[in-house]
Amino acid sequence: MKGNIIKYARDNIDTDVIIPGQYLKVHDYAELATHAMEGLDPDFHTKVKEGDFILSGKNFGCGSSREHAPIALSHCGIKAILALSFARIFYRNSVDGAFLLPIEIDQDAYDGISEGDEIDIDVSTNEIKNITKNQTYKMKPFSEIIGKIIAAGGLFKYKPDQD
Amino acid sequence: MGKTLFEKIWESHIVVEKQNSPDLIYIDRHLVHEVTSPQAFDGLRMNNRKVRRPDLTIATMDHNVPTTDRSLPILDQTSSIQIKTLEKNCKDFGITLFGMDSPNQGIVHVIGPQLGITLPGATIVCGDSHTSTHGAFGALALGIGTSDVEHVLASQTMWLEKPKPFEIRVEGKRKNPHAVTAKDIVLSIIKNIGTGGGNGTVIEYRGQGITDLSMEQRMTICNMSIEAGARAGLIAPDEKTFDYLRDREFTPKNYDTLVDTWRDTLHTDSDAKFEKQFTLHIDDIAPQVSWGTNPGMTCDITESIPSPDEYSKGDSNQKKGAEKALEYMDLKSGTSIMDIKIDRVFIGSCTNARLEDLIEASKVVQGNKVSSQVRAMVVPGSQMVKKQAEEMGLDKIFIDANFEWREAGCSMCLGMNPDILSPGERCASTSNRNFEGRQGNGGRTHLVSPVMAAAAAINGHFVDVRELELN
Repeated sequence: MKGNIIKYARDNIDTDVIIPGQYLKVHDYAELATHAMEGLDPDFHTKVKEGDFILSGKNFGCGSSREHAPIALSHCGIKAILALSFARIFYRNSVDGAFLLPIEIDQDAYDGISEGDEIDIDVSTNEIKNITKNQTYKMKPFSEIIGKIIAAGGLFKYKPDQD
Repeated sequence: MGKTLFEKIWESHIVVEKQNSPDLIYIDRHLVHEVTSPQAFDGLRMNNRKVRRPDLTIATMDHNVPTTDRSLPILDQTSSIQIKTLEKNCKDFGITLFGMDSPNQGIVHVIGPQLGITLPGATIVCGDSHTSTHGAFGALALGIGTSDVEHVLASQTMWLEKPKPFEIRVEGKRKNPHAVTAKDIVLSIIKNIGTGGGNGTVIEYRGQGITDLSMEQRMTICNMSIEAGARAGLIAPDEKTFDYLRDREFTPKNYDTLVDTWRDTLHTDSDAKFEKQFTLHIDDIAPQVSWGTNPGMTCDITESIPSPDEYSKGDSNQKKGAEKALEYMDLKSGTSIMDIKIDRVFIGSCTNARLEDLIEASKVVQGNKVSSQVRAMVVPGSQMVKKQAEEMGLDKIFIDANFEWREAGCSMCLGMNPDILSPGERCASTSNRNFEGRQGNGGRTHLVSPVMAAAAAINGHFVDVRELELN
C-alpha cells in the first residue's frame, strides 16, 4: 500500500482536534470529512489526497470514543495512521469499522519519515519502505486477532468460528 | 496466585475464550445516548437485527440537549434531529429512554449510579469514553465506539483483548479536604503518569486516600482514568458503595443477597500481581490547575507555568507540545497561575456536576458575587441533582451571586450545544478535557475542581482555595 505522508510531529493528537464536537451531529460522512483535523490544521481537507497517510507521535487519538474521528479521516482519503502509539479506543474504532489501518512504528521510522515522503506499507512483511529516501523500517505487527479483523474487512465481517 | 478485582470481573464474564485471541465478554448494562448510537441502530435495521436485551439497555439524551428552558423548541436543527432519532430508535427497539422531559434525564454517567443501574462487579459499556466513571462502584466500565455499540445492541457481548491491571495507590490524608479535592488527586495522578501512562491498562485505585473518599468523589477519580489513557478505572466496593446503591429506582430486589456475595468476592487478593504500579502521597498536595492543552499539563496553584524545557524533560515532542499549548492558551512560561485572569466559569460535566460538587462550590459562592469580568454557569449533572440542589436552596445561592442556573446536560464540556466559549475566551472548567477547541473553537480551558472554579468566578482569577474559610 503506497501513499504520501502528512506529518504532525507531536504527541497526543486528540479526537477533539480530529473532529471537533460540534460536528458530531453530522451524519453525512462526506460532509464530516470536510471538517477532519479542523481543530489542528484547518487546511487539512484541501491538502489531503486519496491514499495519503498521517504520521504522528505518541498516544494518537486520545480522548473521546467518537467513531466519527476515524470515519472523518477515512472519508477524506487517509488509508493509514503511523504513530509511535495509539489511544486504545481510537485504535479499536479504526479497525472495527475497517476505516483505516493504525500502524505502530518505532522511533527510527518516526524520525526518518518526513512530510511528503512516499512510503510503501507491507503488512505481510511488517515493513515500511520509504521510497523517497530509500530507507526501510519495521512496523509493529498487528496482533493475531486485529490482523484477522482487518483481513475480514471489519468487526461485522469477521467470523471467529471459521478460525 | 491471587487475582485482581479486574481479573475476577473479567473472568466471570467470559462467554468465549481462546488462546491468543480476545475474549468474548458478556455485557451486563448498556447505556445509550443520542450522539454515538444513530448509525448503530441503522446497522441493526439494515441487517434485520433486534436489540438482544432491551431490558439491559437504558438510554438518555445528554450531549446535545439545550440547558435552557426545556419548554421551548430546540433551535439547532441537527441537534433536534439527533434527539428525535434517539426517541424513535428507543420506541422501535423497546428501550427505556429518559427523554428531555423525564425527571431522570441527565448525563448518562451521572444517572446510571443515581438510579441504581450501575452495580458492583458488573460489566458496563456506553458509547462514551467517560464510561470509566462507573468503575467507582467496582464495575468494569468501558467506553466504546459506534461499531461496538451496534455489536453490543445485537449480541449483548463484545470482543475484548484483556487489558493489563495497573495499581495506583493513593496514600495519606489531605490536610484540607474542602480545598484539595478528588479532582486535584486525579489531576495530580495524570500530571505524574502522563496522558498515555495508563495505555492498555485497567487502573485499580487503592489506598487510604481512595477509601476515605465519598462515592461521588470516587466517581470523579474513575471518570478521568481515560485521560490517563486507561481503558477503565475501578475501585473495590465497600460499605459506602453498598449504602449508596441501596433503595434506588432500579436497585435489584435481591440487593442484600447480592451485597453479601459482593462483600466476599469483589476485592483484589492479597497475593495478586499488578503489571504496573504508581503511588501518590496526598498529605501535602495542592489544588491543581491545568495550563495547557492536555490534562497532564497541570501544576499546583502556587506554581508558575513551566517552560517547555522544564515540562518536557528532554523529550522533543513533549517540548513542541508545550510550546504549541502555550501559544494556543496565550500564556507565557513563568506566569504565576494565580495571575491568570478568566472570562468564563463552567461548573458541570460527568466529572464534577453531582450534588456534593455543587454543595462544595456553593460554600465559596455564598454571600459573594461573580466578578464583573466573568460569566459563570452551573449545569447540574442530572435533573435529579438539580432538584436535590434546589431543595437545599443551592440554586438561590448561585443565582444571587449572578451564576446562571441551567437544566442538566453535558453542555460546555464538549461544545455540542449552544453553551460554548467564543474564540479567545478563557474558562475555569470543572470538566475533564482541555483539548484545543474542546469547549468551542479557539476557547481556552483550565481544568479545576468545583471549589477552584467557584473561587475563580468570584475573584476573576485563580486563588489558593486553601486560604478561603470553608466549612
